[in-house]
Amino acid sequence: MDLAMIVYALNLSAIYALLAIGISLLWSSIGMMNMAHGASFAVAGYGALVAGDLLLPGINAALQGSALLPLVTFVVLLAAGVGSGALFGVLIYLLAFLPIHDKANFAVRGLIVTLAINLATVQALLWWFGPRQQALPNIFGFGRLNLLGVPVRYDQAATILATAVLLSVVLSWLRLSRKGLEIRAMMQNAEGAALSGISVRRTALPVMAVTGAMAGAAAVLLSQTVYVSPGAGAMPLIKGMIIALLGGLGSVPGAAVAALLIGALEAATGVIPFLGQRMVLLVQFGFIILVLIIRPRGIGGLLDETRK
Amino acid sequence: MSVVLEINDLSAGYGPLRVLHEINLSVQRGERLAIVGLNGHGKTTLFRAITHLVGWQRGSIRFDGTEIGGARSLGEGRRTPGIVRLGVAMTPQGDAIFPGLTVRQHLDCGAWSRRAWKERAKRREAIFDLFPPLRKLENTVVGTLSGGERRMVSVGRALMTEARLYLIDEPSLGLAPIISQRVVAALREIDVMDGAMIIAEQNVSLLDGQVDRMIGMHAGRLRGDVGHVELG
Amino acid sequence: MTKAIAPVFHRVGNRRHEYVLVPQGGDVWRRARLPGVGRHWLNWRGTYNPRTLQRERRLADKRPLWWLLGLGGLSAVAPFLPDTLLQVAVIFAVFAAINVIWTLIIGAAGILSFATMATVGLAGYAAAAANVFWGVPWPLMFPIGIAVGLVTGGLLALPSTRIDGLYYALLTIGLAEICRVSISQIRALAPANSSINNVGSFIPQDWYLQRPGLLLGFATAMGLLLLALLMFRLVNSERLGLQLQAAREDEEFSEAVGIDYKRARMAVFLLASAALGFIGAYYAMLYRSISLSVFSLDQMLLMFAMIVIGGMGRAEGAVIGTAIVVVIDRALIDLGPLRIILIAGVMIAVTLTTHRGLADARQQFRAWRNRIKSERRAARTRKGGDVMPEEATEIADRQLHAYRRFDKRLRDRLKDMVTPELIAEHAAAPLGPHSDALSRVLNYFRRGEMPDKYAILQDGPPEAWVYSVLALSGEPGMPPRVVDDRSYATRDEAYHAVFLLRVNDLLES
Repeated sequence: MDLAMIVYALNLSAIYALLAIGISLLWSSIGMMNMAHGASFAVAGYGALVAGDLLLPGINAALQGSALLPLVTFVVLLAAGVGSGALFGVLIYLLAFLPIHDKANFAVRGLIVTLAINLATVQALLWWFGPRQQALPNIFGFGRLNLLGVPVRYDQAATILATAVLLSVVLSWLRLSRKGLEIRAMMQNAEGAALSGISVRRTALPVMAVTGAMAGAAAVLLSQTVYVSPGAGAMPLIKGMIIALLGGLGSVPGAAVAALLIGALEAATGVIPFLGQRMVLLVQFGFIILVLIIRPRGIGGLLDETRK
Repeated sequence: MSVVLEINDLSAGYGPLRVLHEINLSVQRGERLAIVGLNGHGKTTLFRAITHLVGWQRGSIRFDGTEIGGARSLGEGRRTPGIVRLGVAMTPQGDAIFPGLTVRQHLDCGAWSRRAWKERAKRREAIFDLFPPLRKLENTVVGTLSGGERRMVSVGRALMTEARLYLIDEPSLGLAPIISQRVVAALREIDVMDGAMIIAEQNVSLLDGQVDRMIGMHAGRLRGDVGHVELG
Repeated sequence: MTKAIAPVFHRVGNRRHEYVLVPQGGDVWRRARLPGVGRHWLNWRGTYNPRTLQRERRLADKRPLWWLLGLGGLSAVAPFLPDTLLQVAVIFAVFAAINVIWTLIIGAAGILSFATMATVGLAGYAAAAANVFWGVPWPLMFPIGIAVGLVTGGLLALPSTRIDGLYYALLTIGLAEICRVSISQIRALAPANSSINNVGSFIPQDWYLQRPGLLLGFATAMGLLLLALLMFRLVNSERLGLQLQAAREDEEFSEAVGIDYKRARMAVFLLASAALGFIGAYYAMLYRSISLSVFSLDQMLLMFAMIVIGGMGRAEGAVIGTAIVVVIDRALIDLGPLRIILIAGVMIAVTLTTHRGLADARQQFRAWRNRIKSERRAARTRKGGDVMPEEATEIADRQLHAYRRFDKRLRDRLKDMVTPELIAEHAAAPLGPHSDALSRVLNYFRRGEMPDKYAILQDGPPEAWVYSVLALSGEPGMPPRVVDDRSYATRDEAYHAVFLLRVNDLLES
């Protein structure tokens, strides 16, 4: 068992966790399946790209040769990605949540509208930026750390670290803050929440902005290995969805565990000789089907705090 | 403004069913009012009409001079948080609890105003003084509590922020007599100097001496305005 | 000599006009039947119109008419279309057939599966491979397609019982991707970019891509669509479909009454998969080739857009949605990526405004209108004035409903008129001249029914009459009863006492 593989697996899991937890959170708090999460991912990538093209030449000139340069670049790109992801989340809120959240057949209609938004956004990005893949500036360089004898690429380390920080911030926001309390109250009893002065519309907005921001962060972090392109969001969306399902929709710890499992599985599959990289998806699907047959509600499918 | 709540010609119902027929009611400041009647005659519907949770309603409801009634044009429940934030606190029939949150979190949910949130620890203590059994249940998940304890949590949640109008729906429903007496006594201790309290109840004798005015509700109409009632 | 009646009719009310035929004699009741099956072709209803004194028949279910107009119109126009549009029509028919079968899976069986194109593609590839690599003659491609469809359906059916709804849907989305990747690994196909070409077909080689070939393709595609619709009708409106409808409404109850809905779901799913396999083989033959584009996720999303726009659950919805999306996608191809944005825009607009797509829009509007009407009627209802629905069925004469409403309004007016001054006026002069208001009140009392009335009992010795008030029972044989134990010295007091009782009854009513 190669230790470098563990790092690789952790890297993947981190990205997947960002997406899957966003999806799981959205479903459990407002009952909407966000199929436009992939589009958030792509939009955030392009947002970071545009911001980079605008701001980085100036920053490069100002901080030439300074040790702060990579850090500032990282912060700028991450902020741009997170910002555009959050804005796109707000757009989805306005279009897919507000008009129909208390009308008939909301779950299915929300899914359809977000799917349509996904479709339209990908095509719009295609039309505006063209199909060519573009790369974000390399932030971390190509060096490696040597951590306990394991070679870790700078970007892998940064990804794992950044994700851990982001996730703990979001989860503690959920658990400890007032808004998080309101969200959890709304999940469990909509009428009781209304009588406590909690408005579904006002609470859904930060949730959608935060999950969009998480997708944006994932986009920027993943952009070190994957190019920015209009279709870049498709695979992360599918992976994020199936991990959210595997973890049990609505269970944030379940999604985290599932992300770790899937990341490990993906890393392992790539290494095993007769499987190789191409069988990754098939193996993952097989694994997921197996788990869902044994535990239909997913790994963490708790029934107390979740919406069915 | 001495009239806290003024209801004029209120009719309300669900779908093709009409439950309330031309209700006229006026509640003064500092008044404790009880609406008594059997189940199914419209007491809960009246409260739900005030907080905009019914299917449809016609007629005017003025709270502190502001009109909060009106024909339903938006979905039901959309205006409820707004009405709550104007100062109407309702304890619904059946509690409407959050089964996964603890007692402490429930009470915090009730503190929706900025001041109440800042002072929430102090107010929680006040609620625990009002309902002593809750003190040692502070960190228990409410889904596991008994009926009486849930009722106390539900009432306590409505008390966390000062409200001008308290609407308590069936405080004794499903409770043992001793516990319902305790709940009603606790309600009596709430200060309504600047507002009013309306209690909807089936059990008339429970409210004997606890309220200033009693009105009967039968088949969707208010009948019989009685002052301080001596029963027995 | 009698003259023929030529009644003049005026339009009254807001009932929709029904178009009727006036057949002669016994033709009213004659309905043609499908040979062998015994079902009627069309749902004619014959009635006798008492106003025109004629026998009439009308078409109770007009849907076959719309289908005929739509599809028949398309078939009639097709030979005159240019090649490009004819190709669009062909692809419309094929996709509509696939979507109708998909509606069977989603609507009737209630299984949200996105594996339709995967099934079609796998069956198509298998049939094409059989034909090209193993020399199977093209007519046998159909059974191979059906078999592969069945197998795929069987494999997909297993997890669908265990894994529910959304989970299953998202898994099937990935299935197409898996198929695509797997087939692209097959080395034998690699030189042709993983597609199979030169597949044998019902279209002769020299007709292929020529006008005759296109027309033949269109004719067979329409035939395919009709077969798909027939299958939809046979499954949905017959036993399987009814069992599934019961399950959709209430699963536990339908199980309790003995409907094995799980088996019905599996049966429908397998039938639908077999049909998709058939379509897959047909698809390979129509284009004489099959490529990996059949597994593309974008195509799948487009098909989903079709059934969403049209309405999930109805065959008409599948066809309408397919028509809209195919027209935008293929006919407006110059717009480039914008047309996908347009399709997405239509999807969003339809989903935000309708509950279940365009095909159900009329029903949704009617339901909304009925709800508003019933709310308004409930708001207008006056307690004691309107006849409640339960009573209405007992009262045969509608005049009584109106009378009740009138009576209620009258009573409300009179209640306002009853004031202490009025009562004092009556006390002062019970029989004497009365003011206008008092007259009205007294007239109303005088008009009352017997059970509402009172009488005065004059009792005692002639020197000292004592008066008391009696209430009349209104029933023959039942004597009046004394109201209370009060007695009055003068008749005027008794009159006033009766007046007070009647006023009390009025105020309480």
